[in-house]
Amino acid sequence: MESSILESIGQEIIGVMSPVSLCMLLVVLLVYSLSDSNPFSSSSSAPIRTAANLVYLENPSDSAAQKLEGALLNALVFVILIAVVTFVLVLLYYYNFTNFLKNYMRFSAFFVLGTMGGSIFLSFIQHFSIPIDSITCFLLLFNYTIVGVLSMFSGGVPIILRQGYMVSLGIIVATWFTKLPEWTTWVLLVALALYDLVAVLAPGGPLKLLVELASTRDEELPALVYEARPTVSRNEGNPRSTLGFLVAGVSDSGSVELQAVSNNNMYRDVSENHTSPEYAAIPVSNLENVVRERNRDEGERSPLVGHSRERYSSESNSSEYSTIVRNRESEIVVDEERSPLVDMLGMDNERDHQWRDSVVANRGIKLGLGDFVFYSVLVGRAAMYDLMTVYACYLAIISGLGCTLILLSVCHRALPALPISVTLGVIFYFLTRLLMEPFVVGMTTNLMMF
Amino acid sequence: MTVAAGIGYALVALGPSLSLFIPVISKKPFLILTLLSSTLVWLISLIILSGIWRAFLPLNSTTWWPFAILIFTSVAFQEGLLLLFWKAYKRLEDILDAFADRVSKPRLYLTDKMQIALAGGLGHGVAHAVFFCLSILTPAFGPATYFVNRCSQILFFLVSAIIALAFVTVHTFSMVIGFNGYAEGIKWTNFLFHLFILLLE
Repeated sequence: MESSILESIGQEIIGVMSPVSLCMLLVVLLVYSLSDSNPFSSSSSAPIRTAANLVYLENPSDSAAQKLEGALLNALVFVILIAVVTFVLVLLYYYNFTNFLKNYMRFSAFFVLGTMGGSIFLSFIQHFSIPIDSITCFLLLFNYTIVGVLSMFSGGVPIILRQGYMVSLGIIVATWFTKLPEWTTWVLLVALALYDLVAVLAPGGPLKLLVELASTRDEELPALVYEARPTVSRNEGNPRSTLGFLVAGVSDSGSVELQAVSNNNMYRDVSENHTSPEYAAIPVSNLENVVRERNRDEGERSPLVGHSRERYSSESNSSEYSTIVRNRESEIVVDEERSPLVDMLGMDNERDHQWRDSVVANRGIKLGLGDFVFYSVLVGRAAMYDLMTVYACYLAIISGLGCTLILLSVCHRALPALPISVTLGVIFYFLTRLLMEPFVVGMTTNLMMF
Repeated sequence: MTVAAGIGYALVALGPSLSLFIPVISKKPFLILTLLSSTLVWLISLIILSGIWRAFLPLNSTTWWPFAILIFTSVAFQEGLLLLFWKAYKRLEDILDAFADRVSKPRLYLTDKMQIALAGGLGHGVAHAVFFCLSILTPAFGPATYFVNRCSQILFFLVSAIIALAFVTVHTFSMVIGFNGYAEGIKWTNFLFHLFILLLE
């Protein structure tokens, strides 16, 4: 029996959603396990002074108006800082200081993994009273950090390791951000979503400039992005029967399917159509067989840009981007996962010739790391209230991400990933907290369920 | 009672849905998306309902009839949701079929349709289990436990987990059956089916 289209529609969306979900889940677990150690601990009364706290240090005894005002000021300062730093980055990139940028990013990744990861590790040990000595700790941490830096910035490392380190970096930063006071966190999230919208879509926005520069120079973005590369090994079973189309077209009625990535010209020349995606075509044994299995490597050519940078401590050491990028042009990148594909491509008929150029850049949807971080911060902050809000915010964020991906397939340009999800998440959080919780709790404690 | 007991209750509520999820749904990404969207729709319906009922809470638990009205309206709302889902599903089916034609693949099989219905129903069921059972389960991880008011021998959390399990099953398969029923046209059998679900809940 031939397989139906249901086998593989929507693959790339899941490829992005599952690391985001994993990151959020781990942040929630970390927050839960590390927060109920002692609710009246001294650490909560001495909040850390970060860049997000420069103006106003929140105190639980302040009045609501004071808190709101202080939170707004904090958020404003933070957004301004981020904007300035992004502009500096754009300038550096423009003047081709790429080496400096790369080294700086390596150093910042090392620093974040080492210090912040280290402090989380230490508090973990403290909380669970794990008997481990300091030399072992140091060695483990050092190894972890070095492997992380190596895997993220050099080639030849298996993609799963790189993805894992991206996720863990997101987890570490998000856990740190959840230590911010509550009002500041919420206002900061909203402010960052707005900033993201402006920075990516407005004509003078720094992220838009950066993406355009990168695409005109045909280079990678100098940023930390998570690449959701699809698994290459789709050849289990009979290649003729597992004809999974990972990419669907936009239907004739104009409605966009979930996985709408390309336009209708899937069979035509890719090169002449800028909006068509790049595929890695694994041909079936019958060369005349038009229907072939594709790995959705590149998806749309439109970058989806998240937010720009954040600072963690007062020393502004790390610079991370959140961008979802899809390469507009094709690049020849030698990649070990690609080599079986390249061999197989030699067997193609000449229709695949046009795809050969576009195939080689074996990339999936890219999501910037800052998106991971801020989604997890939102969910982590919801976790500090109740599990119900966690679930509601998780669903809101996932649906926002899905909407953004659909928009991406329609618009084919860089899109900010933060605004829709954060807006939905915040709305759902407050709705759940105010409306749903008395309803549900009242019903379940009386065992009235529907 | 302890972490182990808490995890046990969570598994009682969600175990069968997990065993449905892993072999069937996690293999096909589209079904995962269907599950997530149906969970979202259920959540939105719950928020709307709680918004409507917010003015009347908290109900005093001595009389039973406010609860009856509450449940009746909630369930009626959700049955309406099933109908809405059915309409959305028809449109989705058209889109998927058109797409399948265009890439010259076979149209959706019956098993595919039933799988989509299963994923949708499972989404509803999982949402119910999470919101009604898991969210109040957090105290169960602590050192004590809580018994039911009326019958002080049964653990509260166990009861809620079992009820959640039952509802997961109901939601999942009611959607499958409902879609099958609607596929044959709106007839009086469908009304009977909805009435049955209403009474059941």
